[in-house]
Amino acid sequence: MSMKEEKYLIEEVGRENPFRVPEGYFDTLTSQIMAKVEAEGVEARDLKPGKEKRAKVVWLRPVLYAAASVCALFISVVAYQNYSEQGVTAPAQNVVANNQMMVDDYFDEAADYVMLDNQDIYACLSSDY
Amino acid sequence: MDKYDDQYIKELLLKAETQHKGFELLVRQYSEQLYWQVRRIVVTHEDANDVLQNAFLKAWNGLESFHGDAKIFTWISRIAINESIDFVRRQKNMAAISADDEDSHVANTLMADDYFDGNETEALLQEAIASLPEVQRTVFTLRYFDEMKYSEMSQRLNTSEGSLKASYHIAVKKISEFFKSHD
Repeated sequence: MSMKEEKYLIEEVGRENPFRVPEGYFDTLTSQIMAKVEAEGVEARDLKPGKEKRAKVVWLRPVLYAAASVCALFISVVAYQNYSEQGVTAPAQNVVANNQMMVDDYFDEAADYVMLDNQDIYACLSSDY
Repeated sequence: MDKYDDQYIKELLLKAETQHKGFELLVRQYSEQLYWQVRRIVVTHEDANDVLQNAFLKAWNGLESFHGDAKIFTWISRIAINESIDFVRRQKNMAAISADDEDSHVANTLMADDYFDGNETEALLQEAIASLPEVQRTVFTLRYFDEMKYSEMSQRLNTSEGSLKASYHIAVKKISEFFKSHD
């Protein structure tokens, strides 16, 4: 179905590049960029060829799963205790809100503990490896 | 098509004394190709120029994130695409705050733009693309205009091929509907 729609778009609009640039733009682009790089003042430094950072994410994936499992168990216990203590009169919304705050706090703590930043977490959750 | 050997650029980048030269060759080699990738996402020349320069600055400041075993273009393109997505996101947030629906007059703005040479239908396509969420918009432009393979796109966007295919199909569907409603 989407191939049919893609074909419709190609026939209707085409794939031509309708954009233009000022004359001579690409001739001066490298020098403009290099001037900005120099103005930035970050010095050149020796680099060590290393492995992709994703290796760290792969290694940490089980840790994240373990943290998530512990988190889920913790929430279940707290929810059960809250429910038992407050009985059926406890407003369900409060319990959910409290638990959500605990989940967030616990997750932040777990992420700090394994030294994951947001980028690692997003990369880990959105990747296939 | 490449003017310089990637392996040579990589070797220059690794050592402090040759790093500047290596980076200059990298910029010379890939800036034009990257410019068009960025331009299709952010639309105007001024924005594409800003985003591209910021992307190269980020690359220079974060050279440590380059790994010798990766392809240079994949690495720098990933930075430029992320920078473009961030730019579009910020632009949408600002438009939301000012309650200005920028997407709805992209076609008119483009028709008055000196650096847009397309016809009304091509301007409408840009308006339809601008109405998509930023990641769908990026996936659509990379696939539709650059005809990039999903496997390659997956490395650039750090997303599974399945998600990318789904995003592209949804984007194509929305854009087709947009055109049918304007017929």
